[in-house]
Amino acid sequence: MAGPGALQVIVTSELLAFRNRALKRNPARLAAIGIILLFGAVVIGGGTFTVGATAGHFLTFAVDPLLAAAFTGLSLLMLVIGFPTVIASFFVGRDLLQLVVAPVRGRDIFVARLAIATSANLLISGILVAGVLGVGAGAGAPPVYYVLAALLIALQIVVMTCLQVILMTLILRWVPARLARDVAAGVAGLTGAALYVGWNLSLRQTFGRRGQADISNLTSLAQHIDWLPTAWPGHALTAAIEGSPAAAVVWTLATVMLAVLLMATAELLYERTLLSGLGTFGGAAMVWRRRSERPVTPSRATGAGSPTIAIARKDWLGFRRDVRRLTRLLPALLLPLGYAAALSQPSRSLSGFWSNVALVTFLSMFMSSALASPSVPSERRGFQLLRMAPLTMWQLLRAKVFIALPPVVATMLVFSIAVAMTGKSGVPQSLELIVFGLWLAVGFVSISVSGGAIDPRFDVTDDRKAVGLVGTLAAIGGSLAFAVFSVGALAGFTFGAEAATGTANLGPIPSTPATGAMMILGGVLLIVAGVVLTAVLLWIANARLNSFEATIAST
Amino acid sequence: MTTAQGGTSAAVEARQLVKRYGVVTAVDGVSFLATRGEIFGFLGANGAGKTTTLRMLCGLLRPTSGMALIDGIDIQADPLAAKARLGYLDEEPFVHPHLTGREFLNFVADLYRMPRGQQREQRMARLLSLFDLAQKDGELIGGYSHGMRQKIGLASLLIREPSVLLLDEPTNGLDPRSARLVKDLLEELAARGTTVLLSTHILEVAQALCRRIAIIDRGHIVAIGTMDELRVQAGSEAANLEDLFLKLTAGPESREMIERLLES
Repeated sequence: MAGPGALQVIVTSELLAFRNRALKRNPARLAAIGIILLFGAVVIGGGTFTVGATAGHFLTFAVDPLLAAAFTGLSLLMLVIGFPTVIASFFVGRDLLQLVVAPVRGRDIFVARLAIATSANLLISGILVAGVLGVGAGAGAPPVYYVLAALLIALQIVVMTCLQVILMTLILRWVPARLARDVAAGVAGLTGAALYVGWNLSLRQTFGRRGQADISNLTSLAQHIDWLPTAWPGHALTAAIEGSPAAAVVWTLATVMLAVLLMATAELLYERTLLSGLGTFGGAAMVWRRRSERPVTPSRATGAGSPTIAIARKDWLGFRRDVRRLTRLLPALLLPLGYAAALSQPSRSLSGFWSNVALVTFLSMFMSSALASPSVPSERRGFQLLRMAPLTMWQLLRAKVFIALPPVVATMLVFSIAVAMTGKSGVPQSLELIVFGLWLAVGFVSISVSGGAIDPRFDVTDDRKAVGLVGTLAAIGGSLAFAVFSVGALAGFTFGAEAATGTANLGPIPSTPATGAMMILGGVLLIVAGVVLTAVLLWIANARLNSFEATIAST
Repeated sequence: MTTAQGGTSAAVEARQLVKRYGVVTAVDGVSFLATRGEIFGFLGANGAGKTTTLRMLCGLLRPTSGMALIDGIDIQADPLAAKARLGYLDEEPFVHPHLTGREFLNFVADLYRMPRGQQREQRMARLLSLFDLAQKDGELIGGYSHGMRQKIGLASLLIREPSVLLLDEPTNGLDPRSARLVKDLLEELAARGTTVLLSTHILEVAQALCRRIAIIDRGHIVAIGTMDELRVQAGSEAANLEDLFLKLTAGPESREMIERLLES
């Protein structure tokens, strides 16, 4: 009797590997992830369902643009967020080498990997499912709508996954294989950042002085994307709601044909590029090959070497040369630039000092999270070199803060000055904003470095996954608390000073010198709380690094 | 005999080292000592506990119980002083792929606060030349072969002249010429007073280089001593190290296993 088919063997082994990875995890951590996922599903899924139901019920004229926009928007999100998973599933892993040398057809490998690669897109499409179900429920759609919705969402996932495979295979044909992943990551990152900034700007316009009603903005935007294949499932579902079976069948068939065409193309291209992609992505991090041999110039420095400067210099050199890390930073850098560009247009400028404070706080937190959180885990196996050297973990943390701080501070300075200038703030307020930006940068960077050090995953090669759940929660929670303390302190100082001179408008609270003094004291206490919080997180990080040996044991 | 630090005169000493991971005991009461200028062999099958023991000795892992002493200094009690005296080379060396060979050596030298200047540059040039890496010192380590990484890892230890070397499979992946170079180098270093703790699977290397050998099996030291002492412990007067190793680690006879496999 013949054994199971290759496809079944591959999928079963992947499922077994997934089960084993899940079982290997700490049960408490698994439970925490489960609770967070459940909470997220209830809050995000429930919220999206409610929004969809409200729109389906009250905005019947906008159902088609809404569904078209939902499918298109989520497809773009899948394209950006799911890209790494698709690359990893189709081109990374030594197990692929095993499959290639085994008597397994390329088609079987493709189908098996397609089943695995859809996992990320499947997760993202959860939001789409909730929204589409909500629209159907709100609009009183017939039962066939829900069956069609399930089919079309599944097809959309396949379409986007195949599109990603096609993109990757085309990049592999044009770009040197060793740089292909980074080029792909760069394209995906830039697309995502551009989409985010674009979306944000459109929102700011909507709520701005020249703004029109939100829904008319959205429908006019959706009309422009009407022709996109990603909007076809939306049209099919609208036809199902409106009771036009012919139109629903036409749009559904068009989507099915598109999926079949893309699948066939992806499979064909994949078979041809599998070998050139293999071995390229599974190895060490991508490294730019130096164009030419530079003559080695001996260092003229004298005196004893400094571990802190050595670590900072090593990180700087590594960062400059690691294309992968650089491409992942681009979105983080693009955001402040996008905001600065948006704010430089007076008609879109946010008015008021506190809006600028909020923007500086958000951007500082964002930059610190992108740059500083993975700085300790990015040592990877090199961490063992540091553990063996005669240096303390305090020195390591100091070095990491030292290297992450300048870019965050520089961005904050540029941003604060730009915001202050475009907002035509006075010199004292501009200075306040700059000092506040610097304070935030120091705090957020220290907290983010601590978060990364509290739960580092040295075995992970992707910076975005390099900090575990506990570290991520510590960094985000710590940063949020620090932001609240800092903004509270600034408010205490600002309103306290005004109250002391009797010029503050504090509502029912009298504006007296005593009130002012109390508010300033409150500000000082909040500053102290911020410092204590940062110090505690750094202390925990130091203790964790000193006792860390989980990855050491497994490498 | 005690040193100024209050320890013994042994350069490396493991005292009843135990390492447990949950219910699994990877190393169970390992004790041995290596004296100054000695090349001490540490042998064991895969998963016997060699690397775990070495990692406890160099301070990468904290023992569940027991002590690891380097030049008489407890590495857990005074890690900075102990670490300054030792160099550890993992079987897969810890290197930074985005640094060039020369930058990596400078990085390690700075970590250990070595004085910068002409003397360091000269030593670095000599080491790069010795390991045949002088032509590659401007290339990124990410582009090095496994053997070249092993050599740059060794160079990063030797640039700072530690008094104790803990080497896990140092000849792993090296071509015969480089392997020979490493063996000669270790003998020369030992002659000058450096203590070398050598973990290897290549029994010929251990037999040729090591004055004394410890054999670890399933977390326990099953035999320790010179070749003659090992022969006495195993009760095989004329056996070579391979025979002794197989006898002491009590694995099933491979010939018997092959026969059973072919019969089935």
